[in-house]
Amino acid sequence: MRRQLGAIALIVVLMALAMIIAGTSPIDGFTALFVGALGGRNEIGETLVATSALLFPALGIALAFRAGLFNIGAEGQLVVGGLCAGAIGAALGIPGPLGIVVLLIAGAIGGGVWGAIAGWMKARFGANEIIATLMLNFVAADFALELVSGPLKGPLAAGAETAWLDPKYWLPTLLPGTRLSIALLLALVLALVLQWAFTRTVFGYDLRASGEAPEAARRSGINIGRLTWLALTLSGAIAGLGGATIVTGELHRFNTQLSPGYGFTAIAVALVGDLQPLWICLAAFGFGILESGGLAMQASAQVPKDAIHVIEGLIIFVLAARRYVATRIEGGAP
Amino acid sequence: MIELIATLAVLTLIKSTPIIYAALGGVISERSGVINIGLEGMMAAGAFTAVIVSFATQTPVLGLLAGVAAGACFGYLLAVAATRFKVDQIVAGTGINLICAGGAAYGLVILFNQPGASPQVPSLGGAYWSLVIAAFVLAGALQWLLFHTRWGLRTRATGENPSAVVSAGLDPLVLRTYAVVISGALAGLGGAFLSIGELNLYSDGMTAGRGFIALAAVIFGRWNPIGATAACVVFGFFEALQFVLQGQIAWLPANAMQALPYIAALIALAGVTGRVRAPAADGVPF
Repeated sequence: MRRQLGAIALIVVLMALAMIIAGTSPIDGFTALFVGALGGRNEIGETLVATSALLFPALGIALAFRAGLFNIGAEGQLVVGGLCAGAIGAALGIPGPLGIVVLLIAGAIGGGVWGAIAGWMKARFGANEIIATLMLNFVAADFALELVSGPLKGPLAAGAETAWLDPKYWLPTLLPGTRLSIALLLALVLALVLQWAFTRTVFGYDLRASGEAPEAARRSGINIGRLTWLALTLSGAIAGLGGATIVTGELHRFNTQLSPGYGFTAIAVALVGDLQPLWICLAAFGFGILESGGLAMQASAQVPKDAIHVIEGLIIFVLAARRYVATRIEGGAP
Repeated sequence: MIELIATLAVLTLIKSTPIIYAALGGVISERSGVINIGLEGMMAAGAFTAVIVSFATQTPVLGLLAGVAAGACFGYLLAVAATRFKVDQIVAGTGINLICAGGAAYGLVILFNQPGASPQVPSLGGAYWSLVIAAFVLAGALQWLLFHTRWGLRTRATGENPSAVVSAGLDPLVLRTYAVVISGALAGLGGAFLSIGELNLYSDGMTAGRGFIALAAVIFGRWNPIGATAACVVFGFFEALQFVLQGQIAWLPANAMQALPYIAALIALAGVTGRVRAPAADGVPF
């Protein structure tokens, strides 16, 4: 916990520094940030939209990370999940509530398949999951752009995007007058389920065992290959579900601007949350403030929003001081 | 047809070059026992710094040197984290990637007041061909340095069995620091080649995963400089192919074709099943 508080202090100091470099006083900068993030109904709504968008991939990353698997492919998994939801949603003809469930499942399956590719490569061939998941980000982005520029492009769409979803497939609004949908509640429920699964189930134990002491885990009868495959699939499915909630709850169509780097920010969220789902919820809210307040800070205080990504990077760098896995050997079958 | 093949060959050499520099950095670093996931960020730092300095001094060669220095600085940052603080190298490297990409984006707005891309700056022009040739010469030199010199033996020993290095009266942490700093410098050089060699500006995301492709090349090349370079040429070929085909055949799906080098890297990663072995202490803090 001390390390997490240190991270927050670091954020404040670095934000102040970024503001001073940009020629804005930290008081003006922070005022712009917090007013922009929490200054009214709409601002709070946008902050919580970012919170839920970060929460899904962060929970997925935490799951894989507990197994000692570093999934930096959440960005691509979000995109594939969103694409599946958007593409199916544009063509679907069934009742509303059922349709929403179908779209969310489609997103989870899409993201899950994307994670499973890396998981299968790791389990079957011993391929490095870090490189594999990152490469898959680019493949996802390129293919998604190809599909929505051509075959999946909406008939009336001006740019590269799918047709709009029928409003009956939109996730219900949580906070009237804002873009906040019940995606936030879904994310919180998922966090609770994962908290329970991580701490109270055999699966959670197996994840940790194979992450922290793979050799001991193997000797105690845990099938590491199967667990690797499963962890990356579930990790991708959770991120993909997140992508589907962005499409059904926020954009109401799929386009390639689905994620402004949520999948990477989510790494910081998962680490600041110490890989524990309930703390991750809190961390996601904190980074949600930075995401939505950052835009306001850029507009009214002329501090480039990108400063936030530098800070996220520094936080990840600092939090690396904790040893996450016992050993990591590349190549070779596990 | 012959013209097409010639174009493809030339483009392959050009597209391979930045990846080769980064991959050679990756080989040195991993041979010493540190996985440098931050190659991607160090490339971005090199690319961005090269543009800034070339812009300020109007001398692209100084820009190139500054790019190398910037990469080396981030290499040192990772080295200190990995040796003195014994952090999780993967996580620290990921942090460096975000710091560099974000820092460059922030710098574009602060320095040039324009997001996305820098203005055009003086580039190396025709001189960049010497960097293409140098990449291949360096690969050969490094192969010799790693396997036939005292420094090479010590660095490799540090990556296999650091305790043995201590027994020999040497400090593995110092050897690792050297290796990771050189690794960063080479990645910075690769990045500078991208920004002021191939092009004459920095744009956000211009490294486009090349640092990770380089890491795949390291594995595919079995942690050998020449092997990694050969792998880079393969990946460079697919990047070049994608360019050439797009110009030649209109009906090809242009956006999907851009994924070719990444798919090639994925297949290469999966294709070396059980036939490669990383240095024994690769990624393990000492």
